[in-house]
Amino acid sequence: MTEVLDTDYDNRIIRVQTGRTNISVTGAVEEDGFFYAPDPSSQLACAIAGNIAMNSGGAHCLKYGVTTNNLLGVTMVLMDGTVVEIGGAHLDNAGYDLLGLICGSEGQLGVVTEATLRILRKPEGARPVLIGYDSNEVAGQCVSDIIKAGVLPVAIEFMDRPCIRATEAFAHAGYPDCEALLIVEVEGSDAEIDAQLGVISQIARKHNPVELRESRSAEESARIWLGRKSAFGAMGQINDYMCLDGTIPVSALPRVLRRIGEMSKDYGLDVGNVFHAGDGNMHPLILFNANTPGDLEKCEAFGADILKLCVEVGGCLTGEHGVGIEKRDLMGTQFSDEDMVVQMRVKDVFDPDWLLNPAKVFPLSASESHRAAQSEVAA
Amino acid sequence: MQTFFTDEQLQDPGLARSNEILRNCVHCGFCTATCPTYQVLGDELDSPRGRIYLIKDMLENDRPADEKTVKHIDRCLSCLACMTTCPSGVHYMHLVDHAREYIEQTYRRPLMDRLLRWTLSKIIPYPGRFRLALLGAKIGRPLAVLMPDARLKAMLAMAPKTIPPVSRNDDPQVFPAIGERKKRVALMTGCAQKALNTDINDATIRLLRRLGCEVVVARGQGCCGALTHHMGKVDESHASAARNIRAWKAEMDGDGLDAIVINTSGCGTTVKDYGHMFRNEPLAGEAAAVSGLAMDVSELLMQLDLPEGDDKHLTVAYHAACSLQHGQKIKTYPKDLLKRAGFKVVEPADSHLCCGSAGTYNLLQPEISAKLKDRKVRTLEAKTPDVIAAGNIGCMMQIGGGTEVPVVHTVELIDWATGGPRPSALDAGG
Amino acid sequence: MLSPRDERDVSAAVAAAEGPLRIFGGATRQIGNTVVGEGLCTAGLAGIELYEPGALTIVASAGTPLAEIEAVLAAENQRLPFEPSDMRGLLGTSGDPTIGGVVAANVSGPRRIQAGACRDSLIGVRFVDGRGTVIKNGGRVMKNVTGYDLVKLMAGSYGTLGVLTEVAFKVLPGVETRASVLISGLTDAQAVAAMSQALGSPFEVSGAAHLPIGEVGLPLTMLRLEGFADSVAYRAGKLTELLSGAGEISVETDPERVRAMWQELRDVAPFHGRAGDVWRVSVKPSDGPGIAARTGGELFYDWGGGLIWVLLPEGTDLRARLGDFAGHATLIRSSVENKARFSVFQPEPAPVAALCAGLRRQFDPKGILNPGVMG
Repeated sequence: MTEVLDTDYDNRIIRVQTGRTNISVTGAVEEDGFFYAPDPSSQLACAIAGNIAMNSGGAHCLKYGVTTNNLLGVTMVLMDGTVVEIGGAHLDNAGYDLLGLICGSEGQLGVVTEATLRILRKPEGARPVLIGYDSNEVAGQCVSDIIKAGVLPVAIEFMDRPCIRATEAFAHAGYPDCEALLIVEVEGSDAEIDAQLGVISQIARKHNPVELRESRSAEESARIWLGRKSAFGAMGQINDYMCLDGTIPVSALPRVLRRIGEMSKDYGLDVGNVFHAGDGNMHPLILFNANTPGDLEKCEAFGADILKLCVEVGGCLTGEHGVGIEKRDLMGTQFSDEDMVVQMRVKDVFDPDWLLNPAKVFPLSASESHRAAQSEVAA
Repeated sequence: MQTFFTDEQLQDPGLARSNEILRNCVHCGFCTATCPTYQVLGDELDSPRGRIYLIKDMLENDRPADEKTVKHIDRCLSCLACMTTCPSGVHYMHLVDHAREYIEQTYRRPLMDRLLRWTLSKIIPYPGRFRLALLGAKIGRPLAVLMPDARLKAMLAMAPKTIPPVSRNDDPQVFPAIGERKKRVALMTGCAQKALNTDINDATIRLLRRLGCEVVVARGQGCCGALTHHMGKVDESHASAARNIRAWKAEMDGDGLDAIVINTSGCGTTVKDYGHMFRNEPLAGEAAAVSGLAMDVSELLMQLDLPEGDDKHLTVAYHAACSLQHGQKIKTYPKDLLKRAGFKVVEPADSHLCCGSAGTYNLLQPEISAKLKDRKVRTLEAKTPDVIAAGNIGCMMQIGGGTEVPVVHTVELIDWATGGPRPSALDAGG
Repeated sequence: MLSPRDERDVSAAVAAAEGPLRIFGGATRQIGNTVVGEGLCTAGLAGIELYEPGALTIVASAGTPLAEIEAVLAAENQRLPFEPSDMRGLLGTSGDPTIGGVVAANVSGPRRIQAGACRDSLIGVRFVDGRGTVIKNGGRVMKNVTGYDLVKLMAGSYGTLGVLTEVAFKVLPGVETRASVLISGLTDAQAVAAMSQALGSPFEVSGAAHLPIGEVGLPLTMLRLEGFADSVAYRAGKLTELLSGAGEISVETDPERVRAMWQELRDVAPFHGRAGDVWRVSVKPSDGPGIAARTGGELFYDWGGGLIWVLLPEGTDLRARLGDFAGHATLIRSSVENKARFSVFQPEPAPVAALCAGLRRQFDPKGILNPGVMG
């Protein structure tokens, strides 16, 4: 199921079968100057169906939103085989926002086979500025100041020292060896970009950066992005890694990075941080050796501690990867039993027998006791 | 990813290398996105990631290859698009080569399959035999309908309608440089190419001489060994490779060589890998030296002063051979050279996808190969070119079999642009 | 009437309720069928709980006046992205609109096409379900896929799934200035085509509306640009160039006048004080003119043609006139009887309606939360 069913530039929508990969949605319209905004890092391989299931974001969601903000309609097969149309080419629903509910439900409510997506005209241009700082706090403050100044960058990416070093060794992007690196990208005409980069650079300078490099050409932009885009591969060269995606309020950034550093020492496992700073979506990569007995367990415990920390500072367990099986037992740190029961009742409505991805999202103990209680009521 | 080899298993250098490769994989699945067979078949097991898991399971458990594993490994084109895509640097080529060798040693193929592979391995690498076979096929083509096996039909269909006479240029000899000698290079004249198309080597020799190269066709060189290597027939592929290594080493030790030039990128990828193939053998040093000198013809041309040509008012669709773009990571040189020579260069959509030729793949997996061919021809023709250029004879035959647009080797166009004859294919009408 | 002061009060009130509750905040947005039941006013749950301008996040109790939130944001040069409308003029209501009411009705304005509706900026909710249980969902971060997105479900559920007690939003920077590119004299079809062209350009149009009868009696098409002054001027120039074949083009650059004209549009000012029923029809923009022609009423377009506001004589069955069409029509203003007769919201296909009824039963098993308000 990978076909494009309809491309409609007048109404700025595209209808696709959901097996189509994210990047090939943009691929289908880019010759005509359009694009599909959500761009998760895995966009080369990930399917729209999965994007809908996980409400995927990407680097550019600060400006363009995540999947749910770019999804207009779906064709969904319900558990009893009924095929329903929800939403469509028009905006908003008459009744409940089932579309919003389905998006991010990890395949537990139905099988989405077709989707109507919003496509946008490509901006005239985009260029980043690279800013290096000697402390995470200052970098975090800089992000906050940029946002407060009224500039809305399309992306603000953040890398910490372990990640910068690994990336530099692997991809040779010419990054400075510093504590924190920001890549801030803005869009528009050349003059608009210059103006925005000017404002950003001015703010950045106030915080005494160790490096500040405004891109002036496509080549320079590519070089600045090269390291960021190679970050995961670079970390993978060092060792096995586990990637998390807890989200935190941007203001908690310095504190969270400091705590992760301390925990890294306690656990004896290295960790690199690369993430979307504009929206607080962290991506700590914990390095471990899968072939060393006990390392995986240690890594998972470390990961769980990081996610608990994310919740503690007002964030959440997962921003775009989903709960799945890996994080289901941590749901209790973010939600009360009642919070989870209400969600499970939603599943009862769509999938009374719990046949769709039944073991995901909810702790097994919670879903089993919920289902047992339900069947008692039914009996 | 986590692997489960015992210390004892890791004593084996082949397994140790495969373990190293597997440990780099983070099973992200990016490779699935650019794998041609996954695009066509949509089965995870027909993607690099699926094959990696199959290979891992087979090797870890020391288990003879089973039918399912063999089926999916056989379907791999070895186009190596996955290696271009992989963000973690997984060396899929060495892994699948190892798996093929393992399959050849532990799996008994059905009779028909064995016969076919044996026949191919005994004919194609030998230009004399191959020429005879092509003539036979020409006669036999009307009988194709009677063939019981799709693969045999494919073979008959693939045979060209015209078979060129033997070119004496391919015999061992030395062609002096025209003007001042800048480099002394050995040209690999190949095996199948010699029988299918003599224009390519002729053009290469003319072009290199014109640009100041003394061109040596070394005595004793022959097939690079790729064909049997990809069938997992290690003894035969190593024997071919060893012959070449000795032949070129003799030249290196004699009058010296600045480069070993290869104008069939499939062979080039293999020659560049000799160092790895022989890393645990007595010939290791020589093999590495040969690999170090090996160059695609486009790489060498970039080092020579190719004169800038006038606008030829000819649109060339450049088809990137997988062995060139993925195997050797040579992506821009041929296009740069063509532009420099005065041609307008266009590229098809999805240029990273294989045309389905892939050595003997079009003979052994005709259905998948045909789908890839159709796709490639469609995207090439969409650019309405005057001519299609590629740097690999296999691709040229494959694409030429599906289009009326003439297909030539990149060097033929550059030779023409710098004073050589107009490529005959341009007038043959496809 | 119940006037809870905090979340605990709401919980206790709902748990103790034996009959229907009529839930409201400022009661300025009386859309939907009339509910007969004991009033439960959330206006007592007021106050901004948290505002972090550097993180573009605001959290407030549901009864907080919208005006208060907008003022606090404006002080930091920020704003709610979705441009919530004020329905008092159209519906003839009074009082202070609350942020909870905005969420319950999933309100939006002309910027819907660029920045989304309320549901797109809403990132967290707390509510009391029909059992009296306090539930939270989402949070205060803009990327969150931890558990189901009940945040979206609550937006636009008109209090039928729970009583909102706290809401959290992602906000956006305010703008330095704004301008309107105005085209006069276009037919509806030409206008929608021009708006599509503008919205399909890279010039970030944040509003696209068409009035078949504008201020001076001629058709007027309006395109809004917002941002830094240089950028707005540049894009206004580019748009003028792009649409040069469309009709007579001018650019309104007085930011105050631009603000006023879009606010009037947002609040459906053309129909203020006019007798008759008001319908709101959401369609695919290019279907707009064809569907508009079938309404037979006075109308204007927003959202690039995708939203049609229609004024019809009281008691007109618009859905009968439209027949089968892709989209939905909502009866925003009419008599109690007509609302009940026509159903305020577009009836849903049976399987979807069954899902919605199922959800309502799960969230509100006693059927006491604004029963019948959505039909």
